[in-house]
Amino acid sequence: MRALNKTELNASARGKASFAARVNRFRAANARLIQIACYASSILLLIVAWQALGHSFGVLFVPFTEAMYRLWDMLINGPLLPALWVSGELYLVTLAFNIAIGVTVGLLLARIKLISAAFEPYIYILYATPTISLVPFVSVLFGFEFWPRVLVAVLISIFPILISVTEGARSIPRQHLDVAAIFGSNERQLWRDVIVPYVMPFAMSGIKQSIALSMAGTLVAEFFLNPDGIAAVLLQGTTIVDSGWVLAVTIFIAAIAVALVGVGELVERYLVRWRRTAVG
Amino acid sequence: MATYSGRIERASPTLPAWLGPWLSRERLAPVISGLIILATWQIVVSTQLPDFVARPIGIVLAIPSTVASQEFWLDVLMTLGSISEGVAIGSAAGIVVGVAMGRVREIDWFLSTYIRALYALPLIALVPIVILWVGYQPSARLVIVIISVFLPVAVTTADGTRAISTDYLDVGKMFGARTYHVWFGIALPSAMPHIVAGIELGFARGITNAIAVEVLASVPGMGMSVFTKSNELNENASMVYVVCLAIFAVSVRSGMTRFRHWLTPWYRNA
Repeated sequence: MRALNKTELNASARGKASFAARVNRFRAANARLIQIACYASSILLLIVAWQALGHSFGVLFVPFTEAMYRLWDMLINGPLLPALWVSGELYLVTLAFNIAIGVTVGLLLARIKLISAAFEPYIYILYATPTISLVPFVSVLFGFEFWPRVLVAVLISIFPILISVTEGARSIPRQHLDVAAIFGSNERQLWRDVIVPYVMPFAMSGIKQSIALSMAGTLVAEFFLNPDGIAAVLLQGTTIVDSGWVLAVTIFIAAIAVALVGVGELVERYLVRWRRTAVG
Repeated sequence: MATYSGRIERASPTLPAWLGPWLSRERLAPVISGLIILATWQIVVSTQLPDFVARPIGIVLAIPSTVASQEFWLDVLMTLGSISEGVAIGSAAGIVVGVAMGRVREIDWFLSTYIRALYALPLIALVPIVILWVGYQPSARLVIVIISVFLPVAVTTADGTRAISTDYLDVGKMFGARTYHVWFGIALPSAMPHIVAGIELGFARGITNAIAVEVLASVPGMGMSVFTKSNELNENASMVYVVCLAIFAVSVRSGMTRFRHWLTPWYRNA
């Protein structure tokens, strides 16, 4: 009885092991195929589930085809493109401010001890504070127009690039600065030959984040300071309880967001290709 | 030699020993700059702008009456309670999904499209559709907080569990580790710093997004009160709420950072 059990156990263990091994071999041999199958099936599953749910929920959740049709319709003759123009302007200005202020202030914070000692705690507090809660204060001080929006958008999206540049400039190895000093670099040469090239990859990774984050800043500014642009279009759909409208705009925003992340990665890869390994 | 010793003497503090560490330049600088910021704010607002605009002294004076009201504590309870609940649910779900994605390639491939798309999307764009589905309800806030925490936790957990050193796996295999041993005994602990970093990020986003939902969906809470108090031209009371939110956010951040350092002292700079 006992021996039989043991044999059975062994057999089953062997069977299991060989089955698992076969599965693993199959997974290794057909990795590429399985990958494509996974991507395809996940997208297919979403579309099918969406379509099925859409048909059973009615007004609150339109089917996939309906949402796509609405998106197309809104792109061709609807409010999306004019709104995109408005938002795009705010986005570009925000991004420009983020890069200019982020890099400048980041370098100042890293290179001048007194400034960093004096202001770093407040920058940290401002970073942690949910910026949305400052919107009423900004609007009382400056109103609801374009520049207050830029201020809110920048406050939301500037910190990653600022921190990235500060950390980068702080991590310049002592030896690099010493070598520059030994060769008699003046301040200008020091910046041109040591600091700027060293900080460049950090600035680029900050810019990459900023490209994606400025969009979040733009949306928040548009949502909360007298709705305008894409955010206003989105809110309009909520007000008239039109789920097709809201889903179409949400998908549109998601597509732009994914594209912007892609652009950010390309920019970073292109500009810091000479020292990709240094930053990791 | 004379010059050197002279320099050293001049640099050394001439203050009493117990006062020395408190009056160093590094300690004084933030205090002075803070005072300058507050003073500028106070002077500019009280000379240039109408009475209802918030100013430091006004905010301090508004603290007692705001904090004494029952409404304030209800707001705090609702907002912070909802955020904590969302963080708990979102991080638990994120950890499970993240470990699965990190350890099984197929699951990673299956889910990564959506996780990446949602991770790229500013979550505030999801607020309208969530409001539409859930209604102008407090649960809309909870849903958004859960999503805001789930995504970064899932992504960082997947990254952390994917990158386990093969040494650990080999040792585990030698001792006959089963799949769940590998997942929860090896992968999860070694991904701990990543997971805590993910929760930290999610917490910060959760706070911001919770406030966004409150304002957009008119859900009562601290964020809503910031806006209504401001609309009632009671800017000082509104800023008391902002200060409380800032204190909460800062303490959560520094608490999480400390927790991460305590958990994994060898990763101090990671």
